[in-house]
Parts: sequence; C-alpha cells; structure tokens
Amino acid sequence: MSDEMDLAVLAESFAEVLGAEWPREKAIAWAETAGVTYQAELWTAMAGLGWTALTAPEAQGGLGLGTDAALRLHMALGAAVAPAPMLGTTLAVELLARAGTEEQQAAWLPGLADGSIRVAFAAPDDRPLAADGAAVSGTVADLLDAASATHLFLRATRGGQSGWLVVAADASGVEIARQPFVDTTRAFGTVTLDNAGADGDAYIACAASAEDAVTRAGMLAIAGDSQGGGEAVLAATIEYLKVREQFGVPIGSFQALKHRVADHQTALVASRELLEYAAGLPADHPQALLYALSAKQHATRTAAEVARDAIQLHGGVGFTAEFVPHLYLKRAKVNEALWGIRAAALDRIADMLEAA
Amino acid sequence: MTALSQGPARTFDVLSKVGDEQAFRQEIRDWLAATLDPDWRRKWQSVREAELRELVIRWLEERRKVGLATPHWPKEWGGPGLPFSYQIMVYEEFSRADAPELDMFTISLFHTPATLFEHGTQAQKDKYLGGVTNGTDIWVQGFSEPGSGSDLASLRTSAVKQGDHYVVNGQKIWSSNGMHARYCLLLARTDPNGKRKHDGISYFIMDMQSPGVEVRPIRQITGEAEFCEIFMDDVKIPAENLIGAEGNGWQIAQSTLSTERGLLIFGAVERLARSFELDGKEARDTWMRDAQLRREYAQYWAELQTIRLMIRKLLMELEANPDKASPTLPTYIKLTFGPFLQRYTEFLLRAEGMDAMKREPAIPGTGHSSRLRFNDFLKSYGWTIAGGSNEIMRNIVSERILQLPRK
Repeated sequence: MSDEMDLAVLAESFAEVLGAEWPREKAIAWAETAGVTYQAELWTAMAGLGWTALTAPEAQGGLGLGTDAALRLHMALGAAVAPAPMLGTTLAVELLARAGTEEQQAAWLPGLADGSIRVAFAAPDDRPLAADGAAVSGTVADLLDAASATHLFLRATRGGQSGWLVVAADASGVEIARQPFVDTTRAFGTVTLDNAGADGDAYIACAASAEDAVTRAGMLAIAGDSQGGGEAVLAATIEYLKVREQFGVPIGSFQALKHRVADHQTALVASRELLEYAAGLPADHPQALLYALSAKQHATRTAAEVARDAIQLHGGVGFTAEFVPHLYLKRAKVNEALWGIRAAALDRIADMLEAA
Repeated sequence: MTALSQGPARTFDVLSKVGDEQAFRQEIRDWLAATLDPDWRRKWQSVREAELRELVIRWLEERRKVGLATPHWPKEWGGPGLPFSYQIMVYEEFSRADAPELDMFTISLFHTPATLFEHGTQAQKDKYLGGVTNGTDIWVQGFSEPGSGSDLASLRTSAVKQGDHYVVNGQKIWSSNGMHARYCLLLARTDPNGKRKHDGISYFIMDMQSPGVEVRPIRQITGEAEFCEIFMDDVKIPAENLIGAEGNGWQIAQSTLSTERGLLIFGAVERLARSFELDGKEARDTWMRDAQLRREYAQYWAELQTIRLMIRKLLMELEANPDKASPTLPTYIKLTFGPFLQRYTEFLLRAEGMDAMKREPAIPGTGHSSRLRFNDFLKSYGWTIAGGSNEIMRNIVSERILQLPRK
C-alpha cells in the first residue's frame, strides 16, 4: 500500500476501534494486573476486524499489506497502550513470508491471520538453541510475550545455519515461567525445553537477507509503538494543561510549560516523518535496514523523553496511577530497551554509514 | 580570482533540457564542472570585502548565461519559468557540487521581486527590476529596530508625508548586507494613532544614497560584519516609492516573507547533508574511532534525515498545490533545523578538539557549512535567532498550532 490517503484512513480506523475497545479507563485498570499481557476480548476484536491478517499474504487468508500498514497498526496499539501480542504476529508473518517453506507457510500463516495463533518471537540477536536433533533441550530466558503465546519462535541453529525453531507452547517438554515487567502490558517468560519435539518442519532456516527483513520489521514495529505512545501521552498532557488551573489561570498559559510542549510536539512530528519514510521503503532497498534501525533508536528515545516529561507536566496527579502518563512511560522504557539498547543500534548504524 | 575555472569548453543549454530530468541534471553537472573553480573556497576566503562583491556578481553573471541566475523566477518576472520540481533540482545540484551561495542577493532575488510583482506599480517594476536581474543593485531589508525585534509590529521609525514626499526618521537593525545595498525595503509608521500596532505601518522603497541615510556595519561574534544598522535622519522618500496603500505595510510584509517557499532552507540542509557525509569520512582515523563520538554521529544521522524528509514533504506539497501545503510544516522545519545545526556544529568542536579552535577567515558563499568548525558553530545562531527566534517558534507551535492559552 503506497497511497498516503489509504494509510491515513487505515490509521484512523485503528484509532477509532481502539478508542472504543480499549478506552483510557481500561488501560488504567489494566495496570493493576501483573504480567497478563493478553486480553482475550481485545484480541478477538482485533482478529475479527482482520488486523492480525494485515501483513499475511492473501493466499493464506491475509490482506497482503506491507510494513507501512503494519507501522500504522503498531502506532495505534502504542497510542492505546493496548495489551496485545501483535509484535509476535507481525514478525512471524514476516519470517514465514521471507524464509518459510510452502508447508510451513500453510501450517502457520492461516492461524496467524485469523488470530488463533499468538506468537512469542525471539529477537535475532538472542542466544540460539542448538536444534540439530529431532528433540531440543535448553533454556530460553527473556522471551517477550511467552506466557500469552500459543507458539514460540525461538532463535536456533541447525546444521551451522541460523534460523527460528517453532514450538507449540502446550507441547510436551515445554515449560514457561512468567517474568512480569513494570509495564503490565507486556512480560517476559523463561522457556525451558526438555526434549521438546523439533522435527524438520519445525525449523525455519533463514538467510541473511530474510533475517535483515525480520530485524527491519521488528525495529519499525517497536518504533511505531513508541511513536504512537509519545503522540498520545503528549495529547493527554496538552488536554490537561488546558483545564488545570492555578493562580486563576490554566497552567497551559505558562510559557515555561508550553515551550516544553512545543519542543515535544516538534520532536514527534519530525520523528514520525522518519518512521513513515523508513516503513515505506521496499524491503530490498539498500538503506532499508539503516533507516529502520535509525527510526527505532530515534523514535523510542524521543517518545521516552516525552513520556518522562509528561509526568512532570502533570504535576502531582502525574505521579498517581489514576492518570495515564505512567502507562506510557513504562511502555516507552520497554520499547527503548527491546531488541537491544540504543548504543547497540548506534554502533550498527555507524558501521553502515562507514561502509557506505 | 573568481569562482570560475578557465574558459568553458563548450556552450551549455540547461533550460532546453526541461522535461528530461536526467539530462537536465547532467547538463547542470557538466556546466558546473566546466565553470566552477574547484579552489573557489580558498580564493573567496582570502579576498577583501570590497572585492568580494565583484566575485559574487561575476558568479551571478556566469549563472545568468545559462539562465540560472534566478531559477525560481516565473516567466512573468523575466525568469526561466521552471517547474517547481526543476527549481528543486537546481538547488540540489548546486548543493551537491558545493557551488557558492548567493546570500548577498537573498533580498534582491526573492523579496524584492515578490513584493513588486505582487504589490508594486508598473513604474516601480520598470524602474527597479532591471537592476535586480543584472546584479548591479543589491537590496536590503529595513524591518527590525533596536526596540522591535520579535515584536516587529511595535516599530517606531516614522514617515511623515510632506507634499510629494515622506520624511523618515528612525533606526533599523539586523539589515543583512546593508553596506552593499543600493535600495532598502523599508517598513515605517505613517500613522502613529492606529487602533492596533499593526495598523499605520507602510512599505517603502528607500534609496540608500539619499541624504540622511547612514549605515554602520555590526561586527558579529564570527568576526564578520554581514549585518548593518541603518540610521535615518530626515530622509526624503518620494511618494511614488510607497508600495501598496498607506497603512498596508504589515500585510504586504507578511505576504512576502515566505516567498522563498522552502528553497533556501532546502539548499542549506542539502549543503549540510553533503558536509555531514564528508565529516564522517574524513574522521575515519580520528574521532570516528571513538565509540562515544561515533555513536553521537550515528544519532545525528537520524535527526538530519528527519529534517530532509520534512522539507521534501513540504516541497512536494507546494509543487502539488501551494494553497493546500501544510501551514504548520515550515514552523516545525525551522524549529528542528536550527537547534540541530547548533548541536551538530558544537559536536564537531568537541570531536575535533584543539584543531577546531584555530582562527581562520570566514568563507563567504558557504552558508552555514563552511566547514570551518568554530565559525559554523557560531553562525548556527543565525538559524536559532534570526527569522523568528526559537522562542517565538515555540510560541507559534504551542499557541497557534496546539491551541494552548495565550495568557
């Protein structure tokens, strides 16, 4: 999808549905639930609207849209601070489309598209399991959304080549221990495999170019989640500054506050431009990964700073769990660290710039 | 000593290539390769101020030979009437080739024609535009005053009508290239009793050679003197030099301020992008070996792209339909570019250490990317203070765009 207007319409429909399905009160209440990262009604609603099918190929029941459409969805989920394991779906679809065999695509893409498969997806630089035999044992620490997943996509090597091993969460020999975050919309799990089945079809071998495409999709999705969150928390802050009065005037009239808001707004407008461009590039563009990594390090940092200041701009109520800024700050901090801290991304970017 | 290399080997016809983007770009590149002295930076750097003007005018003349003296002028103005996308290409190619800027002529080539074509009389156009196109007349803007900077509408320079002329008294400041200027676009108050401070301001053409006009260059923190103060003591301006109606000066000034339609900032940013790439390459064996500085450089790459992307978006919108272009994007662009330029040029001081401390004469025509580190850093304030300071831009974002209460 390249038409700007269509993307805008799509983004609007995401926001509208989430506004109804996941309003602010629900998001605030969800913060009391420790480590449950999946809400069945919300996920069912998303699947019913075809959101889980967004990027899956049409032949497998998907809508066949690209990273630019996925970016809008992740922005909307970030804006709503929605507990939905969509990242796993986006990444599993990207991997299968790029590197899956016909059998593997037929096995998992339809379930991903209709939402019956929920994925916990290991980052490309996670320590891989050795998956040379028909059964695999080992421990995978820190797997995002593991506890809510039906399928685990684990980093693994087979025959010296790297790829992902797909294991059903309820298969025998698979145990998952939940590790909650301060951000209650996501959680880690520690996966222990004890002779879990890993037959030929369970392993997806992945060439470097496909791995780059997966990395790119992940970086863009995380960046989008932050961007959406940053914009939403700033909007909530502006709304508050207009109604909160002290010394007989709205505090939004104080220049010390509004200039900070202006800087945040400008930073987010600029950042969005980078994200939209990065997501619109074709996957095989020579700078596609460079732009995605840059978008990730830049947008996650920008949004985390906006969210940090949003609590300060709210004053006392910003420190209470009853107002939204803390939800965004916590989620923004996870996004900043997810798939590698900023310094690691910057090192990679510098390498690419030097090689150019 | 000019920007020119030895005699062109063939004749060039850039304008005939319109319609074929590749051929158009190639013709500009070939022409630049044949015309531009690769050593122009060094030569312009060592020249005295009086000779500089000659160099700039000769460069303008060279450009005129291929129809690129005023690439942004429509046919009605006597320009080449290039489609906007081709104007953008000209700026892109000039920046890529590091060709000298014509900043001495910014007012002459942008604001003067925009003002006269939109609001001037036929007699004014006939009298003044010739001198603009052939580069003999440099124009200066007389807007700001010592007491009226960000609050421009409070200006106090007075113009009192006496028969067939106005008598002007007051003082202007921050007038770029005032010492070279033949004419001034002057804002003065003709009616001190207007209801609002914006009322009662009128727009004049002032001959800088009139008796009573005194110009004093202002020494800047960079060591250069690009700005001037202009003192006016009973200066007589003929009534026919009034532009538009009496009291309409504020509206006219507003309508022509953004006449460069993003092209100037586009050129500045493309110039910076070229320089940025060179900075990283040239530091391959020095500060790019330092993990921290290397990361900072990588971080700036993303920021630079945000600016380039916003400007390209604005230019595309302007090309599609000037009336439907985003009214907010120019503000965001300026408020991103200025602070970025400042932080990046300051970064280079930290990265290069004592090498960056050495004093060198400024290089005219290089805009904000002379690559003299300390000069560029100091000059970056031009983007954070001039043309609406960052603080004013933040007021615009928060009050006009985000609708936060004014008081």
